[in-house]
Amino acid sequence: MNEEQQLKLQAFLDGELPEDEAREISAWIAQDEEATALSKELRNTRQALKNSVSPVRLPESREFYWSKIQREIERSERVPVRAVQPSLFERLRRMLIPAAGFALVAAAGVMMFRGMPNGADSEMAVADSGAFTYRDYANGTTLVWVSYPAER
Amino acid sequence: MADKDYSSAEDPALVRLAQKGDTAAFEELVFRHRDKIYARAFSMMRNEEEAVDLSQEAWVKGWQRLTQFQGESSFTTWMTRIVINLCLDQLRKHKRQRAESIEELDEESGGVERQMPVITVNPTERLERGELRQRIDKAMSQLSYEHRTVLVLHEFEEMEYKEIAKTMDCSIGTVMSRLFYARRKLAALLADLKSEP
Repeated sequence: MNEEQQLKLQAFLDGELPEDEAREISAWIAQDEEATALSKELRNTRQALKNSVSPVRLPESREFYWSKIQREIERSERVPVRAVQPSLFERLRRMLIPAAGFALVAAAGVMMFRGMPNGADSEMAVADSGAFTYRDYANGTTLVWVSYPAER
Repeated sequence: MADKDYSSAEDPALVRLAQKGDTAAFEELVFRHRDKIYARAFSMMRNEEEAVDLSQEAWVKGWQRLTQFQGESSFTTWMTRIVINLCLDQLRKHKRQRAESIEELDEESGGVERQMPVITVNPTERLERGELRQRIDKAMSQLSYEHRTVLVLHEFEEMEYKEIAKTMDCSIGTVMSRLFYARRKLAALLADLKSEP
């Protein structure tokens, strides 16, 4: 018996053949001794497998078994916290504040470099990049510009 | 479910609740079908610890994909497919990790069992169920995973050839060949076992 015949015989026993082909194989099995014997062996093996089936019990308690599943479910559902992306306005503000500070420092520097006339009645000072002070001695006024909100 | 009486609810009702995020309903489904899912994993892996781990992994995957379950099959059939796929992945990993033996290469092509004389006497005929199960278990353990899986899917899951081919990602011809080899090898192993003291 060649391989093709063996597999055809098996397919017949498994009910995988179309009706006309199944009739043909059935007739062949009935006539051929070797085919009859192989058919019997395959049926016996199949039957032995079916008879060996018995209920299999999980070797763990319900609570213990479920606890691991539950833990994994909870872990998978924990969404990682993503860093909040600053808005466009916030990013612009962060760039403009130091730029504005720098511009003020530069302006103050230029004024100081040119020199103030003696008896000047006003003064500007930059304490840091975030604060700008103007004092008017004649009027006794002091103005302080502070960038707000404070740069983070 | 108003009264939260999960134990008396049918599977489809529990599935619907679980799909809405009710883990207690899902726990009830796990409780009902855990043995079957574990049994399928064990029949493929032949290892208790791995079978427990893989069956638990299957339940977690089941929960994560629950919204995809539309009820085309029963819930247990759907879950069984998940555990079968996980076992197949694991078995493929095992296979990659170890060098293929000459015997395994021989098995793929059908080996000597194709020409083996037919066993006309049923070696399991007079065995008691417990003894038969032990012998079948021992014989199944001696099959390669491909042959064992084909047998499990065909005999226990009652899958057709084309369904097995799809599950195992191989041709129908390969399924037929593996099934034939597995049955003949099993018959030979059972016949040998009979002569053991």
